[in-house]
Amino acid sequence: MSGHLLEVRNVTRRFGGLVANSDVTFTVSPGEIIGLIGPNGAGKTTLFNVLVGIYPPSSGEVIFDGKSIGGLKPHQIAKAGLTKTFQNVALFGETSVLDNVVTGGLVNRSLTDARRFAAECLERVGIGAIAQKKAGDLSFPERARVEVARALCTSPKLLLLDEVMAALTPAEMEEIIELVRSLRDEGMTFIVVEHHMKAVMKLCERLIVLNFGEMIADGTPEEIAGNRKVLDAYLGANFSTQGEGH
Amino acid sequence: MTRSNTLSIALPALVVLALIIAPLGLDPFGYTLRILCLMLLFCAMGQAWNIVGGLANQISLGHAAYFGIGAYSSTILFGSLGVSPLIGVFVGMFLAAIFALVLSLPTLRLKGHYFALATLAAGEVARVVANSWTSLTGGPVGISVPYRPDAGFWALQFQTVLPNYYLFLGAMILVSLVFWLVQTSAFGYRLRAIKENETAAEVIGVNTYRVKLHASILSAVLTAMLGTLYAQFQFFFDPDTIFGVATISVKMALIVILGGAGRLYGPWVGAAVIIPLEEMANSYLGNSIAGLSQFAYGVLLIVVILLNPRGLISLFESLRDRLKGRQRA
Ligand SMILES: Nc1ncnc2c1ncn2[C@@H]1O[C@H](COP(=O)(O)OP(=O)(O)OP(=O)(O)O)[C@@H](O)[C@H]1O
Ligand SMILES: [Mg+2]
Repeated sequence: MSGHLLEVRNVTRRFGGLVANSDVTFTVSPGEIIGLIGPNGAGKTTLFNVLVGIYPPSSGEVIFDGKSIGGLKPHQIAKAGLTKTFQNVALFGETSVLDNVVTGGLVNRSLTDARRFAAECLERVGIGAIAQKKAGDLSFPERARVEVARALCTSPKLLLLDEVMAALTPAEMEEIIELVRSLRDEGMTFIVVEHHMKAVMKLCERLIVLNFGEMIADGTPEEIAGNRKVLDAYLGANFSTQGEGH
Repeated sequence: MTRSNTLSIALPALVVLALIIAPLGLDPFGYTLRILCLMLLFCAMGQAWNIVGGLANQISLGHAAYFGIGAYSSTILFGSLGVSPLIGVFVGMFLAAIFALVLSLPTLRLKGHYFALATLAAGEVARVVANSWTSLTGGPVGISVPYRPDAGFWALQFQTVLPNYYLFLGAMILVSLVFWLVQTSAFGYRLRAIKENETAAEVIGVNTYRVKLHASILSAVLTAMLGTLYAQFQFFFDPDTIFGVATISVKMALIVILGGAGRLYGPWVGAAVIIPLEEMANSYLGNSIAGLSQFAYGVLLIVVILLNPRGLISLFESLRDRLKGRQRA
């Protein structure tokens, strides 16, 4: 046994002619907090979508908790303990915050237990006070928190957070960082996509960098900060956004 | 909050009480009682549709297929083999479950309009088959339930309309109870998740395909049961009415969407509005303009969805909330 929680082996994902992820390979050990960074359109969300089963990989293999999960349905992968939050927020808008979170709990609990655990999750994420509000009526930062609570309620082993700190104040970011750390101390593992570099550097012990779908670096924040390729990728991205084409 | 809770229990209880005593003052053979019977039946049919159409927003326009399967199964068994409709009803329910299962394989992966169109087509296929398989169904001329009033409850036939009325009331309450049990269970949470965001539902562990399949089968089985009751009430029907798009499929959807999709009392309100309205329209316009009602249903459905997709119940609720707000201010 390798002892890895997740192994991503040569994963490629194409959309027609576009290669959103190209030959991505890395492993994740239990208890890690990994930052997945890269310029806009680098393929971060696509990689998350492949890992949770929204898109099957075009080629390559994903091994989670000792089982090959490439090509499984998202609900099977969620049951195995791998889920994500949605960058563009995909809550059940007509439903209350509490019921959104309860639905996550049903993956491995009875309704009664899911209700109890959902209340706990809401408290941990700091949104117990808005439990009865309709999810569709919330502000963006509140919705991102509901996303986190709903994902937590599935009791994942590995949780993929896609820009949950976008639009948060520094104090609110600090709360999320503390939450992720304490959950990690309880045994959860994280991959975090975040554009806010300070938050990423603070939270993550290891960074993986994507650029145009390719993995260009994997290392500690210090290593990444001094990596030539990474600096080029970010500068290049800044230039090309003005030109619009790649 | 407690006040609105008591209201939401007390009001329906009052309605049921009123429905229990209502026919006592009416002519047991009369026209009004027949209209009330149809209202209860269509309320129950709407409620069966509501399980999959309302909670999960799978807009089926082919539920007439299940209704017709129920009606034909019990009627053919009774007519040709003398099997009691009390047994035939279960045969119909079983066959409807099979039909729902087979239909689900290709259609459940379809989204929105495509699902609606595919189910519409399936209902039409059932109609065409019933019209052409003359040796089994009697074909376009229709089929009669043999009249055996002497056989009593075993034949599920009655001397007056009154027992039918209470049978329909019981069916309406039964299907509403099933809907309520589904709505408040884990199953209901999953169906609502599918309605709101199927991808998100999957990612947090909802087996969307299986949940939709189970809901479709449950809905089909209940609809078939009501088909048998309808046959025993009408004594005669033909493929074009029992498998009708406007007369059955669209009407079921319309009743729910007008009242409030995914809401327990949605079909109650919807049927209470649509059925009397339809009777009034028919008696004023007469049956001379046959195609008109079909056209009217289509138009009405579109208007309702455009104007107020949440239905009359939500209209009533927002009105109540506004009044409350004014009191507080
Ligand atoms: N379903 C899809 N169909 C076609 N192309 C897609 C699809 N999903 C993503 N893409 C494309 O794949 C590329 C990577 O997109 P992705 O959303 O993964 O980037 P990202 O790194 O998450 O960007 P951001 O930082 O802006 O969120 C983009 O060019 C995008 O247009
Ligand atoms: Mg993204």
